[in-house]
Amino acid sequence: MAALAIDRMLDAGARPKEDDATNAKDILGLNVQRFALAPTPDPAQFSKDNFGVGYGTDNHQKVQFAKGTTTLAFKFDGGVIISVDSRSTMGPYIASQTVKKVIEINPFLLGTMAGGAADCAFWERNLGTQCRMFELRNKRRVSVAAASKMLANTMYQYRGRGLSMGTMVCGWDESGPQLYYVDDDGTRLKGDAFCVGSGSTYAYGVIDSHLRADLTVEEAIDLGRRAIAGAAHRDAYSGGWNNLYHMKETGWEFIGAVDTNDLYYEHVHPSHIPAPPPKPTPSNVPR
Amino acid sequence: MASDASYSYSLTTFSRSGKLLQIEYALTAVGEGKTSIGIKAKNGVVLITDKKIQNKLVDVQQVKKLEKVSPSVGFVYSGVGPDYRVLVKKARKQAQAYFLQYRALKPVKALVQDTASVMQEYTQSGGVRPFGISLLVAGYDDEGPQLFQVDPSGAYYGWKASAIGKNFKNARSFLEKRYNDDVELDDAIHTALLTMREGFEGEMTEHTIEVGIVGEDRVFRVLTPAEVKDFLDEST
Amino acid sequence: MSILQHNGAAIICMAGKNCVAIAADTRFGLQQQTVACDFEKVFKMSDRMFVGLAGLATDVQTLRNTLKFKLALYELREERVMKPEAFSALLSHMLYEKRFGPYFVEPVVCGLKDDGSPFLCGMDLIGAPVYTDDYVVSGTCTPNLNGMCESMWRPDMAPDELFETISQCLLASVDRDALSGWGAVVHVITPQGITSKSLKGRMD
Repeated sequence: MAALAIDRMLDAGARPKEDDATNAKDILGLNVQRFALAPTPDPAQFSKDNFGVGYGTDNHQKVQFAKGTTTLAFKFDGGVIISVDSRSTMGPYIASQTVKKVIEINPFLLGTMAGGAADCAFWERNLGTQCRMFELRNKRRVSVAAASKMLANTMYQYRGRGLSMGTMVCGWDESGPQLYYVDDDGTRLKGDAFCVGSGSTYAYGVIDSHLRADLTVEEAIDLGRRAIAGAAHRDAYSGGWNNLYHMKETGWEFIGAVDTNDLYYEHVHPSHIPAPPPKPTPSNVPR
Repeated sequence: MASDASYSYSLTTFSRSGKLLQIEYALTAVGEGKTSIGIKAKNGVVLITDKKIQNKLVDVQQVKKLEKVSPSVGFVYSGVGPDYRVLVKKARKQAQAYFLQYRALKPVKALVQDTASVMQEYTQSGGVRPFGISLLVAGYDDEGPQLFQVDPSGAYYGWKASAIGKNFKNARSFLEKRYNDDVELDDAIHTALLTMREGFEGEMTEHTIEVGIVGEDRVFRVLTPAEVKDFLDEST
Repeated sequence: MSILQHNGAAIICMAGKNCVAIAADTRFGLQQQTVACDFEKVFKMSDRMFVGLAGLATDVQTLRNTLKFKLALYELREERVMKPEAFSALLSHMLYEKRFGPYFVEPVVCGLKDDGSPFLCGMDLIGAPVYTDDYVVSGTCTPNLNGMCESMWRPDMAPDELFETISQCLLASVDRDALSGWGAVVHVITPQGITSKSLKGRMD
């Protein structure tokens, strides 16, 4: 109950009162009320019907958003590993192979991007602002629990309007490495490992088989890379480059970007040789 | 049709001496029919037939024995006229079906085989009789000019020159003496006319015979009476 | 998503000077899930002719079997090899026969004609044929494939140049398509014979 009370206080700090029109946060664009709504009897339903981002549920829509992803993060004794792919697709078309799916909220907070790219980018930037406001107001770093709750609350506020976001909020605060999962219907979960996106099942397969708390940093990085490599191979909508971050007591460190195709030959199928060309079957008639 | 009746037995059955008499009778009917001759030349094929009609009142211009079956294939017959129409109709339909499927002309041999199959079917099915005709088939395809003969039994043969119908034995022995492999189409037409004239009863004019040719253009066509007359005039 | 895109494919036929080539990817997927990387979608129909079938995998295989069956009968009946022109007409006819319950396949046909010149043909799933003399494409990334071929194709390419061009066009195209790729095969037909090669492609 105590935690709930604190969260409620944070909510109030992060979200403007609706009648407070001259609030500085309005000028910063923080007042979410400023989004123009569709002039229809049920704007929420309209957004949901026409601007949804779900896999396979947006086929009827005139506008289709870029999506398709594998992202994962897991905790171990050495901190948190955050590993993501970089592919962005619009239908079957690969719109980009160089998308940054890890959002650097501040030196101690990272968010991952899955679902609608715009939704993730906007609301995680918004989260960054809210966190900075908290720091200025309270003269201390925000806890990951609080930060993830702010994002979850924002998502809850927009529930049913067709936002699409599956994110992992990762950080290091007073109580050590932290990992939360937050999504568009307001779900907020604390956990040791999460995989999000169309390739998440393949990534879970790798992570669940090999994750141990006492992994060395090198082993953990390798595991993060392998999981993305496996997902990039099997999932059509994942691939490109593997961006990998390590969250430490001193804040996050970007470990590097590796081509997922190179990872495939290195990890998934080290002895892969392209199959010989199929022998064209002999023509039908003896002659 | 044969399939309409629940109990329909083949009328063409073996005699004790191992003969199919119905087919032999059909061949007799062919032998009674007007003579038709075909000659394969180096660069084409000619078909010629006797279409003499006893009754003067018949409009001979309406009598047509040579029929185009596909653009490059023509038929002629000796024997029972109405039976011929049935085969022509079926052959035309098969040629069209082939074109619809492959966008290519049906090869002469395929057309002959299919027509021969129909004739064979009528020697084995219940409730039907064999066709009372023999066919001469002239065509030109990728294999070059070809002449085939199909008999009521369904047997078919490729020929350099052949004759069917009345007097066919004499005509064949005449052709045997006359034929050579290097003959040009124009010469073949003259040979055919000459053969026809042997044993022709009455006056042979452009109105009492019909001539059809297919040349290197791979188009089968029946010559007009005027063209036939020109050939007749040349040969006399 | 269209049922034509269910399994994923990318196929090109391209003409050179007295030679033709056909290239196809090897992915077999179920929507976004990649199931196999060695799926055949290009089939030899004679010593001078190939057919490429892009679309629903079950129909690809059924059509392949039916085509081989019809081809075998034709060759026995007519004692000759079917020409690409007749084969295309046959295929088109077969597809239209299923006008109201089609095979979900968009085929391409390539071969050498009797005079040794290239023959190319593509068609939609109910058999509307398109005859071209440069290249023809099919699959889940036709905008990519058309764009690549449009830029790279040149008239009168020799067999080895044709192989290089068609391979690069295919590989570049599938790298921008989520549903195709994962390896490729290329066959080049010349009057002397057929050369077949496998290409190493991106595996993501």
